[in-house]
Amino acid sequence: MRWAGRLGGTLILASAGLVAQTPSFVGSNVCQTCHPANSSTFFRNPHYKSVAAGNQNPEQAGCESCHGPASAHLTARGGKQTIPNAFSLMPPAKIVDACLTCHSQTISRANIRRSEHTLDDVVCTNCHSIHRSQAPKFLLAAAQQRDLCYGCHTTVRAQFSMPFKHRVNEGTVQCTDCHNPHGSFAATWNMAGRPRMVDQTVGNEQPCLKCHTDKRGPFVYEHAAVRVEGCESCHNSHGSTNARLLKRPVTFTLCLECHNGFGSLGRQADGVRQQSSSHNMADPRYQNCTTCHVRIHGSNSDSRFLR
Amino acid sequence: MRSLGAALLFAGIACAQPTVAPTSEPTGPAGGGNTAEYNVRQSFELGYRWRSVDGDLGAYRGMVNFGNGIRLLGSSLSVNSLEGRGHWFDQIQLNTQGLGNDPYQNALLRVEKNRLYRYDLTWRSTAYYNQGLYNQGLTNTFGRHSTDTVRSIQDHDLTFLPQSSFKVFLGFSRNTQRGPALSSVQLFDSRGDEFPLFTDVRRQQHEYRAGFELGMLGWRLNLLHGWVNFREDVPAQLPGFSAGNNPANPTTLTSLRRDDPYRGNSPYWRVALFKETRRWAFNGRFTYVSGRRAFVLDETSAGTDRFGANATRQIVTRGNAQRPAAAANVTFSVFPSAKVTVTNQSSLNSIRMVGNATFTQIVNGLAGAPFVPFTYLGIRTVSNATDVDYRPVSWFGLRSGYQYSSRRVVSIEDFGGATGSPIEQNNGLHTGLLGVRFRPVRPLTINLDAEIGRADRPIYPVSQRNFQALRGRIEYRRGGFRMAGYARTDYSTNSVSLANYASRSRQYGADGTWTISSGFFIDAGYAKLHLDSLGAMNYFAFNQLSTGSSYYVSNLHTATLAARFTIQDRVDVSLGLSHVQDRGDGRAAAAVPPGQVVIQTAIIGPQSAFFAAQTFPLRFTSPQGRVSVRMSENLRWNLGYQRYGYSEQFGIFQNFRAHTGYSSVSWSF
Repeated sequence: MRWAGRLGGTLILASAGLVAQTPSFVGSNVCQTCHPANSSTFFRNPHYKSVAAGNQNPEQAGCESCHGPASAHLTARGGKQTIPNAFSLMPPAKIVDACLTCHSQTISRANIRRSEHTLDDVVCTNCHSIHRSQAPKFLLAAAQQRDLCYGCHTTVRAQFSMPFKHRVNEGTVQCTDCHNPHGSFAATWNMAGRPRMVDQTVGNEQPCLKCHTDKRGPFVYEHAAVRVEGCESCHNSHGSTNARLLKRPVTFTLCLECHNGFGSLGRQADGVRQQSSSHNMADPRYQNCTTCHVRIHGSNSDSRFLR
Repeated sequence: MRSLGAALLFAGIACAQPTVAPTSEPTGPAGGGNTAEYNVRQSFELGYRWRSVDGDLGAYRGMVNFGNGIRLLGSSLSVNSLEGRGHWFDQIQLNTQGLGNDPYQNALLRVEKNRLYRYDLTWRSTAYYNQGLYNQGLTNTFGRHSTDTVRSIQDHDLTFLPQSSFKVFLGFSRNTQRGPALSSVQLFDSRGDEFPLFTDVRRQQHEYRAGFELGMLGWRLNLLHGWVNFREDVPAQLPGFSAGNNPANPTTLTSLRRDDPYRGNSPYWRVALFKETRRWAFNGRFTYVSGRRAFVLDETSAGTDRFGANATRQIVTRGNAQRPAAAANVTFSVFPSAKVTVTNQSSLNSIRMVGNATFTQIVNGLAGAPFVPFTYLGIRTVSNATDVDYRPVSWFGLRSGYQYSSRRVVSIEDFGGATGSPIEQNNGLHTGLLGVRFRPVRPLTINLDAEIGRADRPIYPVSQRNFQALRGRIEYRRGGFRMAGYARTDYSTNSVSLANYASRSRQYGADGTWTISSGFFIDAGYAKLHLDSLGAMNYFAFNQLSTGSSYYVSNLHTATLAARFTIQDRVDVSLGLSHVQDRGDGRAAAAVPPGQVVIQTAIIGPQSAFFAAQTFPLRFTSPQGRVSVRMSENLRWNLGYQRYGYSEQFGIFQNFRAHTGYSSVSWSF
């Protein structure tokens, strides 16, 4: 149905006098004559599978499966305007439609229509380079995934230059370990709103728990904030000037912002539990809470996370 | 134009690569070599790293951690069948980085036979060194929570019939963390003392996956079943007699041994159904995971209590915790015309954590009555979000969105007494979003967004209640020149009775890339990240309950510069600089200056603590340079240097200056 739509568009061009007749498929071998650089290396391209199969229709294999029937382009002896799908000229929405003709059938792209990228007109060809990719997988437009993302996300690049950060620049963590650039399902923590492009694990959990498995629990005594609001209650996930990627340089300021006993907050509805009267904040010993409250992400043995 | 495009790709490689090695310049013929029915391209980079650190070696290891020694800095192997009909495989792709004892090592492998199978392996190993969390000079934790562990992660995925309408998936993942660490323990009562403990971290998780995907009549059904097995053993022991953290406290510890094995498994199911047509798209997903963990803790300690008397304590706990969780999402998109897209997603998430344990404590030979605590935490969230995207003309687009979320949190805590009554809290959130996109001329793009949210009864003081975010981005891209600017402000206030919490975040950034020719490009970027937050605090000091406030300021400026040029088509020179500086709130010293007004209380001590902790100015700079000389088509010699300088304005414990570098040879054969 989709290629029929493209064919319809071509008929409109024909009526405008830009092409003499309805364009038809000519086969990828014809394209090699003028585009030898793309053709000679196409065997390395994942899209070559459709050609290698040998039994696919022209609209499903080779150059014309993406760029549309080429007879008009051939007759005109070139020119992007005569290509039904010239991706460098197509509007972003059309690019998404063209690629999703085949690539919609993957669960990782299930939310692409509500993706922040799509809604901001950052579409397939902004991140993928079909013919000139240097990346080992996924035809990325940069050799390293992080370089691609840094190209737009300047502040994120700055965060990964911080003293304490996930090792993205060092190569052992990738942006897609936590994010799905094609869009993700509603978060299963916090209020299911933000963040919109953070991918859950298969078990509905925050992506942090893919690697930090010891924080998953379940624990007899849960630190409720971790489950209810998420790891970003206390941590900056990209990078921080504070150790452990914490939001504050000194532990007690992080803890006491919640543990103040005020109002009808907290799951007890009587305020988030304030500190014990045995504490003396004038004494530096009490200013690093996790010296005693060591199992701060949850404990099986102590309701105050002492062990 | 084609070479400029390649140069742009290359520029992207070099400009955003903050570590000087491995070398990114390629070696070997671009087309590779043909053998039998395959094309082969490969390269290796073997070299030697060195470092010289002046200052806090622990801080350097915590932030950078490159050491000395020979490394296989990088390697790449690409084998592709020329006709796409290889006998056993059509593609082998192998890339490695840092092998040979680099703290950061990874390997990617893909083996594929068209239409028959696809196998992917990702292996990563990270050697972490975390020194103790220092309180910027207020107190030195003596590295009590230092860790020196290695985390290794490997993921295997095998897909049969990857291009067919029926696919079968198999997968395995392994995640281990091992190494020594320092922890701490507080004994023998609430007014006792803290002691360092040596622990041996041994954590391991295995995940097994199996599933299939079936396509029929345009629909695709995806089913996946997995099992996650987790085990943790972190035995702790006292390295020797300890007088504790507080020399004025008579509490001492002469021996301690703790074993707390932790085991569990989490089987899960995922079912997904999706279809996309010309006019509409649907996808639905349901996931259920049941998590169960069992544990035992056995701790024996001996020493003297805070009165100087001999003290012994044994604690034995055992029990289990369960966490069934279910999540469901349904997303429906309609495309009534080429100009309009409407997407609606509904989601439901329900998670329960139920735990019970038996706790027994023997103090000085007297056994207390065991008690059986029971806890329950349940969270149920329902949300619905609608997004509309409208493009009346090619150069203008409009987007809007609305989301409503409702969350219910139920908690039961029974610590051995009568059954605790459930406490329930409900809260809702409304969020609205409006955005526009302009493209007045082809090279220029402007995006503007505004988001506003209102929540009732946020659960914590730092939770969002009233927030708004404004975002703007402008980008100009033409040929080899690109410039972009970005601004974002987030405001959030949560004012509940006497507890105020407000935060304001402003982010600005600008960057530009200019590829002058295939052999010369420049990249520069600047970002400012400003955060200030104000929160009320209740705390105890000198046995009095006091109320104060904490005003935290982070004023980060970051800059990156990169340049790359080629001399005589033989020598590639790369230069780079990364600079991070937190200027704090502008004060010159951490302590309360003379005459500073103290808020609300005459107790100076805690206010001094708050004042000192309210900002943490520092500087982290890393210039780098690299020279890569093409000796022949198949051989390069590389030399690189990178300096790391870290300094804290208010503290002197963790500053360091490190010189690192490498020399390597890249070859292809």
